[in-house]
Amino acid sequence: MKKRVDVSIPLGPMHPILKEPCRLKCETKGERVISVEMELGYMKKGIEQIMKGRPWQEVMFLAERVCGICSVIHNMVFIEAMEQLSELQIPARAAYLRVIVNELDRIQSHLIANFSYCYTIEHETLAMYLLNIRETVMDLLEHITGARVTCSYMIPGGVRFDISADDHKIIHTGIDTIEEEVTRYAGMFNTGSLIRLRSVGVGILTPENALLAHAVGPSARASTIAYDPRTEHPTYQDLGFTLVTRSGCDNHSRIMLRFDEIFQSIGLIRRALATLPEGLIRGGGKFTKGTVIYKGEAPRGELTYQITADEYGRIVDIAIQTPSIMNEEACVHYMMTDVTSIADVTSTFISCDPCIACTER
Amino acid sequence: MNLLMRLKNAVRQRSIHVCFVDTGSCNGCDIEILACLAPRYDLEQYGIYVHNNPREADVLLVVGGVTFQWQEKLKMIWDKIPEPKVAIAIGNCAISGCVFNRRGSLIDPPASHIIPIAAEVPGCPPRPDEIIRAVLSLVPVVFKNWEEKRP
Repeated sequence: MKKRVDVSIPLGPMHPILKEPCRLKCETKGERVISVEMELGYMKKGIEQIMKGRPWQEVMFLAERVCGICSVIHNMVFIEAMEQLSELQIPARAAYLRVIVNELDRIQSHLIANFSYCYTIEHETLAMYLLNIRETVMDLLEHITGARVTCSYMIPGGVRFDISADDHKIIHTGIDTIEEEVTRYAGMFNTGSLIRLRSVGVGILTPENALLAHAVGPSARASTIAYDPRTEHPTYQDLGFTLVTRSGCDNHSRIMLRFDEIFQSIGLIRRALATLPEGLIRGGGKFTKGTVIYKGEAPRGELTYQITADEYGRIVDIAIQTPSIMNEEACVHYMMTDVTSIADVTSTFISCDPCIACTER
Repeated sequence: MNLLMRLKNAVRQRSIHVCFVDTGSCNGCDIEILACLAPRYDLEQYGIYVHNNPREADVLLVVGGVTFQWQEKLKMIWDKIPEPKVAIAIGNCAISGCVFNRRGSLIDPPASHIIPIAAEVPGCPPRPDEIIRAVLSLVPVVFKNWEEKRP
């Protein structure tokens, strides 16, 4: 970057607002931040290199550990890609249970994203409320799958555990609590005057720029771009999924869109529980060789797996495209071109929900 | 050891600053540390305050199998922490590398090769109450007779 500024302020790699190591170089002119440059490379583990040449029994656990926050969707996309490759059919009950667990995972991921934003704009009360209601979601996830973070619930041909009639009641009670509380917190966020001062009109990502930067997920949908791979998923089509967009293009609408998606996920879980088909939870089959490209909607956006497998189910070649990298580039190049202060740089960066672990893998 | 020293030791045990460093984890252990902040677990009722400033910290939580970029920087962060200090390895990655410790990966575990680790919390990821218990069980040992030992 050409030097045309007063002071260059580095944030990170270890900084109180950043939970993961990455470096933001802020080029300032007085109080204003002219441009921001992001420096990555502290978290590269080479997980795709580890995956190559291993059987699917090992790779399905490695795929979960690409990202710890959205581990369920990585599991789901990898397993569904392998099923599509081998043309395996799964029982209808298993497909619905997959949607229930996936949407619970989306709720907790969106809650932690909104928690981070509220924590960054120093509204600690709302942040702690959101973090506390997240524990209820984690309880439901633990009740269904047996683990809090790395569940490995989905397996080829179906899911691991069934839910009983008692579990129906527990899930209904849980999501009723979540809906009631999150409605209150979304109202607090939407109407709080100091929150609006910090969020409305900050970090504008226009629809043209979002298309240029290939922004995906909530960052794109808050800029009126109606794109969601869930609309092409057969189970979501059965449940009548419709995507939500907002037209605010700023930090406030990105956070409010995540609240909207939480309510949408709660509706999907209710519909899936009401119309849960009877039957088996696991089918059978055999993996075959071939190449497949499969995409799903992670909490942060579109997630794509390209897998080449051999006839024994070993992974010959794998490429993962995670959503965070596009959102971070959109954030750095378009949202933070002329920001009022350093405090707005951090809050704008957190509003696009960066996940450095799945950016670098 | 006079009364003032004993009082100082007792008070120090109830005000601990924790700093955590992510050296290439999958984020799973990170969010379990964040979950400790939640009112359900309420880290601050034990006098533990989490922030990411090594210069004020007493306890360093190391997360993740150490990537090549962190090998020098982890030592630098450890040197910045004032005495008395302890480091706790959270999660299997910091202890052994877990699933990432394979041929072709870009990590070099364990973290104990670089800095002295006082306690290890295994799990992939460990539960928040296990993390809190590790911090709480270690702190009385560190601050027990610090006032006598301090330079």
